[in-house]
Amino acid sequence: MIEAREIPTLIIGTAYDIMSKVVPPRAAFVDHPVGRTFGPPHDRQRNVAVLAKALAELPQFTQPGMIRDLQCHWASDGSRSWEEELRAEMRRKH
Amino acid sequence: MAFEYLPIMAQNSAPKPPRVLVQPAKFAWCAVTKPLTQSRVALLTSAALRLETQPPFVPREDLSYRRVPSDPSIGPIVIDHHSGIGAVPKEDPEIVFPRTALADLVSCGMIESVSPWHFSFMGGVRKPQQVEKELAPALGDELAQAQVDLALLVPY
Repeated sequence: MIEAREIPTLIIGTAYDIMSKVVPPRAAFVDHPVGRTFGPPHDRQRNVAVLAKALAELPQFTQPGMIRDLQCHWASDGSRSWEEELRAEMRRKH
Repeated sequence: MAFEYLPIMAQNSAPKPPRVLVQPAKFAWCAVTKPLTQSRVALLTSAALRLETQPPFVPREDLSYRRVPSDPSIGPIVIDHHSGIGAVPKEDPEIVFPRTALADLVSCGMIESVSPWHFSFMGGVRKPQQVEKELAPALGDELAQAQVDLALLVPY
């Protein structure tokens, strides 16, 4: 709807499987836990780095429905130990 | 391999059926033609966040939206979203709503300007037709009125 108003959009998201199903006009994938798209709390440098990386990717979107992987990983050593903690968080009831 | 959210969301939905992910009835796409250095940028978030002084989002099926000042010094920001992952973003909303980072990119010249308002709504609403027919056009009107050249959507 927004693109129909001639305003381009860019989704910056952490859920690759969801973005693949929804097929937004253009999306940038950040391999972080959901709810921490731009990094851990109080890390302004990281917020800027992720945002700048997403914006720099814009010229690469040449057709609708592309998802570009920003290669932004949560842990600097590539560890995915955050996944278990995230599963536990997501199962928590309100 | 990327973390898989859909199986966990399906489990969390029980006993309700899993959320159905829908694509818009009419797919639209426009090319990015304006350089960022000449662009006004706005943030859209599905975190149901707002200023403390604004009315809270009613849980789960609220179709309203809030205009949130793009000036990062105006706050504090409250997150109303019901998600179980809320504790960490509530500690620092900038990790899902990077007002300061966006302002910094204006200061360094990467972006021309930010919209006077960013926009927030409730994510995960199970009313796709109303989202498409009511919420999305309203947000489109707001963005057009603010002369936004690029809208960044950060799902929550």
